[in-house]
Amino acid sequence: MTLSLSLPQQGLRRYTSALSPLAWAAVLVVAVVVAVSVFAPALAPYDPDYVDLNNVLAGPGAQHLLGTDALGRDLLSRLMVGGRTSLLGPTLVVLGSTLLGLLLGLAAGWSDGWAGKVLGRAFDILFAFPALLVSMLAVALFGKGLVAPIIAMTIAYVPYVARLTQGLVVSERARPYVQAYRVLGFRTPWVVLGRVLPNLIPTVGAQSALNFGYVLADLAALSFIGLGVQPPTSDWGAMIEESRGALLGGYVLPAFWPALVVVVVVVAVNVIGEEISDRIGGKLS
Amino acid sequence: MSQLLNVQDFTLGFAGRDPLLNGISLHVDDGEAVALVGESGSGKSLTTRATLGLLPERSQHSGTVAVRGLNTLTARSAELLGLRRNKASMIFQDPRAGINPVRTVGDFLTETLVRWRGLSRAEALERAVEQLEQVGLRRASELVHQHPHQLSGGMLQRVMIAAALLDSPELLLCDEPTTALDVTTQAGIVKLLRDEQQARGMGMLFITHDLNLASSLCERVYVLRNGRVVEHGSAREVFLAPQEEYTRQLVGATPSIELDRVPAVPVAVEGEEPILSVDSLSKHYELPHGDTLTALDQATFTLPVGGSLGVVGESGSGKSTLARLVVGLETPSEGTLRLGVVDRPDRPLKARERKLLAKDVQIVFQDPYLSLDPRIAVGHAVADVFRLHQKQGRRQAQDSARELLGRVGIGPERFDAKPRALSGGQRQRVALAKALAARPRLLVLDEATSALDVSVQAQVLELVEELRDQLGLTILFVTHDLAVVSRLCSQVLVMHQGRIVEQGPTARILADPGDDYTRNLIGSRPRPLWDRDVITTP
Repeated sequence: MTLSLSLPQQGLRRYTSALSPLAWAAVLVVAVVVAVSVFAPALAPYDPDYVDLNNVLAGPGAQHLLGTDALGRDLLSRLMVGGRTSLLGPTLVVLGSTLLGLLLGLAAGWSDGWAGKVLGRAFDILFAFPALLVSMLAVALFGKGLVAPIIAMTIAYVPYVARLTQGLVVSERARPYVQAYRVLGFRTPWVVLGRVLPNLIPTVGAQSALNFGYVLADLAALSFIGLGVQPPTSDWGAMIEESRGALLGGYVLPAFWPALVVVVVVVAVNVIGEEISDRIGGKLS
Repeated sequence: MSQLLNVQDFTLGFAGRDPLLNGISLHVDDGEAVALVGESGSGKSLTTRATLGLLPERSQHSGTVAVRGLNTLTARSAELLGLRRNKASMIFQDPRAGINPVRTVGDFLTETLVRWRGLSRAEALERAVEQLEQVGLRRASELVHQHPHQLSGGMLQRVMIAAALLDSPELLLCDEPTTALDVTTQAGIVKLLRDEQQARGMGMLFITHDLNLASSLCERVYVLRNGRVVEHGSAREVFLAPQEEYTRQLVGATPSIELDRVPAVPVAVEGEEPILSVDSLSKHYELPHGDTLTALDQATFTLPVGGSLGVVGESGSGKSTLARLVVGLETPSEGTLRLGVVDRPDRPLKARERKLLAKDVQIVFQDPYLSLDPRIAVGHAVADVFRLHQKQGRRQAQDSARELLGRVGIGPERFDAKPRALSGGQRQRVALAKALAARPRLLVLDEATSALDVSVQAQVLELVEELRDQLGLTILFVTHDLAVVSRLCSQVLVMHQGRIVEQGPTARILADPGDDYTRNLIGSRPRPLWDRDVITTP
């Protein structure tokens, strides 16, 4: 027999390569950004709001690693502290929309009659409104700041989760194991919340991870057009907005750094979301 | 001319794991039909695919697989292409998976003729029509303009056979081509394959898990297990006088109709209400465009306490609808269904009613891979039922679950195992335990052993018999397999297109069927080649 047996290195590599290098990098990026944002007050070299008019629009150097903005504020410190509002918003939106979406999707998927149809149509109508437009409406109604856009975004992102959940529930409830629970006489709420819901979490979680990236970009855009976080609070979107004047004057860096961070984080979160969804069998398109 | 198919010491596997195929040697001569019999995972499909040069990616192999002297393991892709176009054809299990659903049957059949054999479109279509007629399809000239979804599974498998024969192959490889088909359809396909193989003098390698089927079609048999040839020889010898222990088990486990083994009809106790009585029960489904589908049409029967009733029929006969009505997963459209002393309402059951019903009737489904919750450890799944129905605390329920699982042959070491860590047979045992934990009086088995290998099926059936006797269960066994019914059920009910065509004691109906359809069903069971002349059709 010429079949060579037992090459343990290959077997080992199968497990360590379980996560692709790209996914590893994405996880690392997100972990670092989150950690830095959380500990920003301790880590930041300068007070992010300290104005130093003698040192405006400085290039990167030993004193200011990434340079300063038009008011002489340290860009690195503002980026680090800005991460807190920039990440907090999407986190709240994703948590809120996932929770609401799961509940509504479960209800819509489980009810055969008109309730399911009505909910399904309601999701479709919500889909028709772009998240940014809803947020601008909310700002017009409730005023500028972080609260109104977060509520609006949460509502705007509910249908993404709810539609997915509804579809999953409809296919799951037709499965023999769910029917076996019914024949065994278990009560519907117990089956739905205790048994079916946990089986949906991985798929819905993947969708929510993807949503996180979109929300981050949307909220940054809101801050950029001046409807989100208000000065002088540091926020990545707001930082880009504040740098518009400098940008026209030929100073690219104050806008470039926050833009770069937004892009990197959005891409990293998307990579993680895709990885999760690949792993659970590509149920998301 | 060199031998048609010659496999010598063929070994195949992945680095670092046990080989999947281990030193397989077999051969097929011209004009010979050879069966490759084995249970799932025995390596029969891998062997056949290697014949066409289809090997799993990154696999390692040794030995030779030669078709007319061409070693497919080392052949260049151009040589393999020539082999696949001119010498060997293959027919697969699922005909629908192998045909493009948006193109017509004619497009499918003529493509190779036009592109490789240089026929004009008209000539190719003419040949396709001829070939379709030859495989027994009527109105072939209309059929070529139809799409796959307009054909039944049996018709489509004939189309696939026609496609394979169009290339005039010397070697025909059949990978379980009738497993997805009904028994009566299977009988037609098997006859067609046998006739074509004989008429053309083709060599045929027929893969199957079913020894009966192999013996009805092939002169020689190879029995595979875990990637090794366990036994080979003439079908008759292997089937009637198996040498190896494994083959003996396999032959013993293969279901056959033995009239003297049919369980006796229990003597009815005077004045005792039947556990299940069904009167003119119908189920209609509303289809789009205002049509109605009658899945069950005016069914009437009773099932006495302690009885065992087999419900036999092919796909679409309404047998599963009947089972689902009995366990309350469907609501009756008309008629009455009386379980014990309770009449079933014609509306969906309320939670309280479902829980009460659960103590009367339970069901085990067909697919052991889907009927258990993938996330819940099997012991806890059973314990949950004890907590719900027997009002037991967590501890006590776990002890009860452990005991019941032990009784169905699942040891305590598997208590915390997730379903995916269990084999198909073990999962079906767990499903059985889950159903029994509610202590039902009536147990419905909906094709509960159909997805299992024959040896596993035999064990599960034995377990069901044992539990029935110990617990005094009444059994409603829904199946397509008459042999399984003859072993387990004292009474049988034959269904066809939603109607009950015949019912009565199993022994009488199998020996002397009164209905044409029942006769057809019994006559369609594969019969060994050597028995053809002896037994006349009943």
